[in-house]
Amino acid sequence: MARSGAASCACLLVVDLPRAAALRAQSDLSGRPFALSSGAGGRAEIVSVSPEAIRHGVRRGHSVAEARSLCAALDVQVVSPALEEAARAALLDAALSCSPRAELEPRRAGPYAGEAAVSADASGVASFFHGEAGFATALAQRAAAVGLPARVAVASSRGVARIAARRLEADGETRLLAAGDEAAFLAPLPVDVLDPDDALAERLTRFGIHTLRDLLRLPQRSLAARLGPAAISLAAQARGQCDLPPPAAPAETRFVESIDLEYPADRLEPLLFALQGLLSRLLARLEVRHLACDELTLALDFAGGGRDVRRIGVSAPTRELRVLARLAAQSLESQPPRAAICGAGLETRGAPLRRDQLDLFRPPGPAPGALAPALAELASLCGASRVGAPALADHHHPDALATRPFAPSSGDVAPAADAGDFRLALRRLRPPAPAEVQLRSGHPSRIRSAVCSGRVLRCAGPWRTTGGWWSRDGRFAFDHFDVQTEDGIVVRLRYDHVAKTWQVDGVYD
Amino acid sequence: MSPTPDARVDALLRDLGSRLRRGSHEAARQTSGGRRHPTGLTDVDALLGGGFPAGRLCEIAGSLSSGRTSLALALLSQATRAGEWTAFVDAADAFDPSSAHAAGITLPRVLWVRPQDSGQAARACARLLELRGFALIALDLPPASRERALPPAAWQRLARAAAASGTSLVVLSEQRLTGTSSSLVLETRCARARWSGMPALLEGLEIEAQVARAREGLARRIAAVRLCAASRAA
Repeated sequence: MARSGAASCACLLVVDLPRAAALRAQSDLSGRPFALSSGAGGRAEIVSVSPEAIRHGVRRGHSVAEARSLCAALDVQVVSPALEEAARAALLDAALSCSPRAELEPRRAGPYAGEAAVSADASGVASFFHGEAGFATALAQRAAAVGLPARVAVASSRGVARIAARRLEADGETRLLAAGDEAAFLAPLPVDVLDPDDALAERLTRFGIHTLRDLLRLPQRSLAARLGPAAISLAAQARGQCDLPPPAAPAETRFVESIDLEYPADRLEPLLFALQGLLSRLLARLEVRHLACDELTLALDFAGGGRDVRRIGVSAPTRELRVLARLAAQSLESQPPRAAICGAGLETRGAPLRRDQLDLFRPPGPAPGALAPALAELASLCGASRVGAPALADHHHPDALATRPFAPSSGDVAPAADAGDFRLALRRLRPPAPAEVQLRSGHPSRIRSAVCSGRVLRCAGPWRTTGGWWSRDGRFAFDHFDVQTEDGIVVRLRYDHVAKTWQVDGVYD
Repeated sequence: MSPTPDARVDALLRDLGSRLRRGSHEAARQTSGGRRHPTGLTDVDALLGGGFPAGRLCEIAGSLSSGRTSLALALLSQATRAGEWTAFVDAADAFDPSSAHAAGITLPRVLWVRPQDSGQAARACARLLELRGFALIALDLPPASRERALPPAAWQRLARAAAASGTSLVVLSEQRLTGTSSSLVLETRCARARWSGMPALLEGLEIEAQVARAREGLARRIAAVRLCAASRAA
């Protein structure tokens, strides 16, 4: 039966999150027998097993030593909470790429402890995907795009959709439950699918109630008296009713990818290799959300305790892995970490890629999609602060420098200029060149510097610039002179009253 | 007996002669449609046949206080006023935004890149030329005494990239650097500095510009330009 106009909800389910998270981070584990343990050492418990290892007889609950005795080629790794958290967030991103309202379901205990589920509101958005079947397929494809093979079910409520997803056989499968079919689907299922608490599960077993059909046959009025108030909620779920509200839109957009390194990295190469993996996973998540990376925060955990958090500026939003990896490498090479690194994390808020509206009456510039990576590449080549559009500094200090992000628009206004009056430009010297100056009557009469030397032919000035007098470190006072020396060069000379030195800070050219 | 294919090719090469070597240059001219970027300085534009040619490597060479920076800013000003996207690759770290604003440049339409050496500057230029869409790129290089000059092969690569993108790449230098790779070299020199009043004020510079090299056979005339200093009172 169609659900036109009625609420519907999809559940995106990853059955074994620790294994999926490990495979997402290390694709080379695919097809190999591997297991995840709760800790280091031979006595640690195996918590997740790959299908290849299961074929060798390795099971959850085995000790690491026992598992190795069953499969000599078994690759055992310690389960990583950081990878799992990132995988859960990636699953949410996959859902949010299809629906504006999606929520991560809380973690469960017991037999469903290893699963990760996201509920996505399908009401109204399924039509964008040619129906609920298309919506479910799109969800599964987006989950695969972020490296998580997931199962998807669509039903009229969050609870039923989750149960339907659990009953699917393989990753990538989808199921649609029409409104009229939900009761028939739920009836033969065991009571355990509703995940009752231990006390209620024991009471139901003693009463001989094994399926949801058995539960619904009981008189509903005396259910609470005999089995406790939790049984009322359980019966409602068995009928396909759900008291949970529809999923809500996320309060903020934040993308975090982190990793716990197996061995502390004391050199940059292994750290950069790990960061490259983090970046590629981060970019896959940004891509499904149609966003780009605009500013990165890199957090490094030191092996001996302590944390280094640094900001990596990106001049324009980009999804170019090569550019971002180079920026990260540049940051680490310019300021190497002070100790070995045992964990790393990357965070970005995400920003839309720049779009530009072409102007009918102005020449076109570079394509916005090509400009952003080029700007990011230039920033990684020269430094993020050395690329941008020049701007007039809002400061009186003669060395003040200002830039803005380079994003020309058709509304940019040209400054007024006098027709036929061509301005003499000043070439700045950064830093100013020190000069030795001889004075006569308070004016420079002879200069010696790297720029110009010799007798002063003409001189104008001084013009005084002062500021920052309220601050010991920020105060400045300069006397500027325009000076022409006998070698024909016209320079701007200044006397720094704070440093008590003469400098050439520009050449008229 | 008909000539062999090799002999035909040899004959063709003989007939085409030097025109064949100018093939890429002619193609570039046709690609950019013979477009030129004027400086707005009437005498200089007349000297250059309308301005700096699009899709070419050009050079403005001149010592300090010869007016080469002012000429480059005038060029950028005209381009940005026409709505073009421009870039200033400032390896000399000498660009002054206040002077650029006074010259009438629309600052948001200029991408200011400050490489730390000439090698970085050449790579930045190559990346911008590859991007396409910038009408004009000015490359301001530090004096040869400060760091090693770029090899001739680098200039050839940049000239080819400029021809492919249709962008004018204008190099600012104290001495000629681009060699035979450039299509146009304009040399500037300071005629005199003008001072006025008592106490003295710098009024401006009188400069002379001369075409030192032009593939299009421009006349080697001299253009005189008067540049005004910004008013101190302002």
